[in-house]
Amino acid sequence: MERSPVAVGQNFSGATGDFPKLLRSKGLLASAIIAPAPLAGTPQKGWQPTEATTILAFKFSGGVLVAGDRRATAGNTVVYDRADKVLEIDRHSIMAIAGVPATAWEMARVLEHSFQYFRRTQLQEMSVDGKVRALSKLLRDNFGFVMQGVGVVVPIFATYDSHPKPEARLYFYDAMGAQFEATDYAATGSGSPAVRGILYYENNWGAKPLHNLSEDEAVSIALRALDTAAESDTSTGGVDRMGRIYPIIKIVSREGITTLPESKIAAVFKETVA
Amino acid sequence: MIEEPYRWVEAIANRREYIEAQLAPGSPIAALGYRDGILFLTVGQARQKIFEIYNRIAMGAIGHPGDIERLRMAAIELASTEGFTRSATDVSLRRLVHYSLSPVMKSAFEQVYGPPYLARMLFAEVGERPEEDLFLRVEYDGEIATNGATYAQARQDFAALSGTQQSREQMEAFLATQHAQDANLETTFNSALDAWSIGHMTLQTDDAKEPPERAAVRKHRQEQLASAGIEAALLERDASRAIRYRSLSDKELRPLIRD
Repeated sequence: MERSPVAVGQNFSGATGDFPKLLRSKGLLASAIIAPAPLAGTPQKGWQPTEATTILAFKFSGGVLVAGDRRATAGNTVVYDRADKVLEIDRHSIMAIAGVPATAWEMARVLEHSFQYFRRTQLQEMSVDGKVRALSKLLRDNFGFVMQGVGVVVPIFATYDSHPKPEARLYFYDAMGAQFEATDYAATGSGSPAVRGILYYENNWGAKPLHNLSEDEAVSIALRALDTAAESDTSTGGVDRMGRIYPIIKIVSREGITTLPESKIAAVFKETVA
Repeated sequence: MIEEPYRWVEAIANRREYIEAQLAPGSPIAALGYRDGILFLTVGQARQKIFEIYNRIAMGAIGHPGDIERLRMAAIELASTEGFTRSATDVSLRRLVHYSLSPVMKSAFEQVYGPPYLARMLFAEVGERPEEDLFLRVEYDGEIATNGATYAQARQDFAALSGTQQSREQMEAFLATQHAQDANLETTFNSALDAWSIGHMTLQTDDAKEPPERAAVRKHRQEQLASAGIEAALLERDASRAIRYRSLSDKELRPLIRD
């Protein structure tokens, strides 16, 4: 009997709602083969973590603010100055990325479809823990590529959990997929040491702790932090004063995701940073 | 048995009769295109009958839950894979139904030693403009009926699905005269409720040449709504979001009922 074009088998993958598994079964998702250990004496280039960018996120009075600069680099070259590294995954979730864009954007696509696929097949929303874990699993599956020196991704995940206790939640990851929940702030990318310093300082000795900041104050601190990171890190774009290119800033709250318009960011920048 | 052609035809006819009998008690589903999108509606079911398939596609189905699930999963799987590898705008209901679901249902139906799909489905895809809304009804034998959005013919901005052909035709006759494409949600919702009631009443009578009286429809509607819940979903035309499907709760809809 001829095989039908639609495989509606008894073991359809929809039963588990696992989209990456479905993609793999159709050969649409590459997985790296972990290379065997090199022979003794073979010169081997060590793995260099390249996460050339700066991403930061912190909780403030209106939810979680996630900000990222716009610069994309290849080695010493700036290849693009309008990259969007703060990606919306669903109505309440943001994934912000530091690392190799090709892998990161692919991961974001897989993740976005995974959440939707789960909801559509299982007729219920995936839990926040499930979503956090899904990203962790993608990172883990990608680790073979990381070991080969291509495709490292170190993301931040921000979401709003309406169940059981409504609150904004923020997670950061390492390249192997370990997930850590951040209580106040998280930063990733090559410019993150400077940013982490600023956020720690502001949270402890600033005018008020981060979680009490108003939206304008939060935007101001995000812009100052990115500008500081850009000051010493060549891979971070910061704010391009001449080209008028501002970082991407998004806010996750109970109502969903808001992308701040450039005019608003420009106004705060002019008033408190420039 | 099926070496002889007429035996095969007989087997198919028996099978058709059997499936029709199985589907006959299926409670109706109405899908109505209006100004701001497409409304799917049914009343009082123990299990869910209206489903999200993809960003702009929804499905309503009657039949055996096991078969509905398999077809629903297949549709979601196909649409999601297409949306992932190409883009969400490349996912098309016409292709999904014509190239994938219909052939599978036809061959399952005609292979008399295997089980057919005990299901009848109604799909809708919301367009940028009301003229682009597409409705497709797929029968257990793979037969497809469209509202005419694909080819130039008199197009309808609604579709109905019911246990019997008679019931469906009564619903369609009602909607053809009572439903206007530029109506708002409240009017559309009430038309859908009336269409459902007409379909549901017709299911219980063997011979309904004439459409039921208006007063009788209202009475039937009230009686049913007193004990059963409304299940409904919208495909919104609002282009600002990617995902247009939104289910509507019974609580949200009750205040919109007009007698």
